[in-house]
Amino acid sequence: MTDYNPLLPIAPAQGNRRSPLYRRHVDLQAKFEQVGDAVLVSHYVKPGIEVLLAANLGLVDLSTMPRTGFKGAGAPAWAASQRVKLPKLPNTAVTQKDGSVVAKLSHQELLIVSNIMGSATSIDRLNREHLNREHSNKEHLNREHLNREHSNKEHLSKQTLAPQTYSLPRADSHSWLAVTGNAAAEMFSKICGVDLRVHKFAHNQVAQTSVAKINGVILRHDLATTPCFYILSDITSTEFLWDSLLDAMEEYRGAAVGVAAMRSLAANK
Amino acid sequence: MKLLTCPLNGQRNISEFTYGGEYHPMPDPNTTDSRAWAEHVFFHDNAAGVVTEWWCHTASSFWFLAERNTITDKVIRTFDTSEIFNERVDFKVPDAAEKQS
Repeated sequence: MTDYNPLLPIAPAQGNRRSPLYRRHVDLQAKFEQVGDAVLVSHYVKPGIEVLLAANLGLVDLSTMPRTGFKGAGAPAWAASQRVKLPKLPNTAVTQKDGSVVAKLSHQELLIVSNIMGSATSIDRLNREHLNREHSNKEHLNREHLNREHSNKEHLSKQTLAPQTYSLPRADSHSWLAVTGNAAAEMFSKICGVDLRVHKFAHNQVAQTSVAKINGVILRHDLATTPCFYILSDITSTEFLWDSLLDAMEEYRGAAVGVAAMRSLAANK
Repeated sequence: MKLLTCPLNGQRNISEFTYGGEYHPMPDPNTTDSRAWAEHVFFHDNAAGVVTEWWCHTASSFWFLAERNTITDKVIRTFDTSEIFNERVDFKVPDAAEKQS
């Protein structure tokens, strides 16, 4: 799985990936942990207290965790050929065997986020396979181009124009936050026009909408029995969104929590 | 708040949408003259009555079409672009001799 060890103290800039919120975390005296090549907040206060906070209303920064995406008319069929379980409808998601989540944002667009242990195995494999496919497609196109020059054809063959799959590497373009707890949906009603109450917005349902005036993808992915909403939005606005969410959470006694609390809640069956 | 129904995402506040101009069928670029092409690219009819328009749900960057009455501002229906654009459009690449002429 991963080589993370919560007992090792670590600095936020130590890993290859650093969250755009790391200064906020340092100010909140966060304890960091390393997962693969990324550093993320394990906890701010005592982990036991954070589990209670997260069960009520918590905000977690998962921005350094693995995620990716694929788009294009050929994307769903290609992903299926890679043994990815696909959601049937757009704006829904399916949990994979390894705990990663695949969301369908439209008929031709997939978003894939890792499990909360930060395991990058399946995401790395998909990115690698896609890259290999790109290389072989490019070689095929070059051959077609040469053939075309020789035979003076006007158009490329039908095979060349087969449905394409394009990579959408979300890790650098989108931040990833999680809002956890029973008060989450009510808090969202202040800053989001979509009804996210648990009886209206199901586990693994997706809404592409505006949160605190920031466009984002909201994916409900519960931690066992605790509601949890992932927000993926433009990475350049992360600090604004983080501050806005904490401000909206204040009246419900919400607080920033670390990923350790999420893992504890997910383990509570 | 006005509401608009995105064919992909459902009913949303109008603030989540961007207007993209009138929809007109594209003239055949191989046979049309410059005037007709310029009309297609730059000019709008600005008709009073039911028109078809481009709209984008900005949160998902999803473009779709809407039939709207410009007199009453009532949206009659919104629909997926695949209703109209159901096959690939290829443009002929001019060869070197054509480019020079």
